[in-house]
Amino acid sequence: MKRSLLIGNIIVIFLVVSYGTVDYGAPVLATHLWREDYKNLMFKCDQVMREHYIAKRAVELSPTSETVKNLEATEVGLLDCHEYDKLRKRMLIWGLTGPQLSLIGLEALEEKKYELRRFVETHEIRY
Amino acid sequence: MNFGGLSRLTRFATRTCLLVALLLTGQAPALASFEDILRKAVRANGFTPAEETHVPVNPELAAQGKLLFESTHLSLNGNISCQSCHLDEFGSADGIPNAVAVGGQGKGAVRAMSNGGILPRNTLSFWGRGGVGFSVFFWDGKVDFSGKRKISQFGDAFPSDDPLITAVHLPPVEIREMLAEDHIVLSNKQESPKAAENILKVVTARLKQNEPETVNEIARLQSISLESVSFVHIATSLASFIRDKFRLKETRFHRFVFKGAELTARELHGARLFYGKGKCSNCHSGPYLTDSKFHAVPFPQIGFGKNGFGIDYGRYNVTHNPDDLYKFRTPPLFNVEKTAPYGHSGSVATMREAVVFHFGPLRGIDPTRMRPLDRHEYFKRLAASAEARILTGFLDDEEVDSLVVFLRTLAF
Repeated sequence: MKRSLLIGNIIVIFLVVSYGTVDYGAPVLATHLWREDYKNLMFKCDQVMREHYIAKRAVELSPTSETVKNLEATEVGLLDCHEYDKLRKRMLIWGLTGPQLSLIGLEALEEKKYELRRFVETHEIRY
Repeated sequence: MNFGGLSRLTRFATRTCLLVALLLTGQAPALASFEDILRKAVRANGFTPAEETHVPVNPELAAQGKLLFESTHLSLNGNISCQSCHLDEFGSADGIPNAVAVGGQGKGAVRAMSNGGILPRNTLSFWGRGGVGFSVFFWDGKVDFSGKRKISQFGDAFPSDDPLITAVHLPPVEIREMLAEDHIVLSNKQESPKAAENILKVVTARLKQNEPETVNEIARLQSISLESVSFVHIATSLASFIRDKFRLKETRFHRFVFKGAELTARELHGARLFYGKGKCSNCHSGPYLTDSKFHAVPFPQIGFGKNGFGIDYGRYNVTHNPDDLYKFRTPPLFNVEKTAPYGHSGSVATMREAVVFHFGPLRGIDPTRMRPLDRHEYFKRLAASAEARILTGFLDDEEVDSLVVFLRTLAF
């Protein structure tokens, strides 16, 4: 009886610890590990997508061998988005939610806001 | 039945399994066909196996050309040979920013400090010159056989249909290159094909006198009499040597593209940037990694420049078309790691800087330390490079490093 209880307790503790690790620990760890990589890859993907769109428009407006070649280069450039997608999915698997990833993305987008704040802090006394 | 609990349990189980799988494999599966995507892009950009660029040469004629390449008798009144500035240890260039030609002594830095005539351009390497389809020579394309109308300083009376043979005619008649600016040259100085022809006649006569065995062999190999030998026969022999010695050889990148060999992860990353986001292949394309066209890349300018006062108008000097101001022919990239410094005036010391200045030229200059004229000229070069808004992509420092690692795979 005691042995069964002990085994039962071990199983329950194992499940609780596993659940806690997977549901709460893993996302925290993943955020810690890959936050900066995620921001970096998000920037790169955004950049190559913009370049690709501009290249497409350039071909539409002026379909020359140069603009077509440029478009082809930007298509290869889109492979950066594959890296971003891979990391995004990995982080989802590690338990981060879509909104949490979006928040990290927003942080990346707003990174230059600190410069703006510093500028205002330096100069607001003049206003 | 509590479906919410079941769903939560299923999610937990699924995520656990995926996490375990991720931890065991280390990473998510990569695109299996990534290398193939890259190989396809490289081929689409006109990259071919090295042997497809080879033009057959007569090895005996090339052997005589080698002797001429090393001979100072190609110089009318100086003490310089082709080899003085095209050295193996510098990847067939000279390792200094501006060429120090006639009157120069030694190699590399020693030559730069010697009292020779400075040519205001960086010596170009020879790799691939004279290969199949290679038809635009020199930084400003002053020999350009790529279009319907052949361009050279000889006007319509160009000495050969072969652009390399025509190009070989120029250094011996270029003042400060192989022609010293002595009082006779100064008093007869004129830019005309006739003047060049006269000088080449004298050079040929000197070669007949000082290198009789070589010239005899050249006559025999081209089935002409010794009396009939003119500079075009000399140039043909020199061109055979250049074609043979500096032909493209198989690089690691060739093996990757055409033989399925592997590159390191870093090299692959660099190749992906070259043909993708960095957009280097927009201009560095084709079998020689050049589009043979003219673009303005606002590298810093050093030396007095082709147009004096630190100014070099580049292609404009050939076409006199204002659209060509500050443009230079895209340089091929084989053995690029051996041919520093870079740029038309050799103002860029390292490959890394050369990569950076393509998309971030402002990192190479400090306007506050420039003379007003230099600042103005730099502004104009920047303006001329406006096409770069489309033709280049931004790279971070790590990506630049990868690109440099990739460029090293182009060595042989």
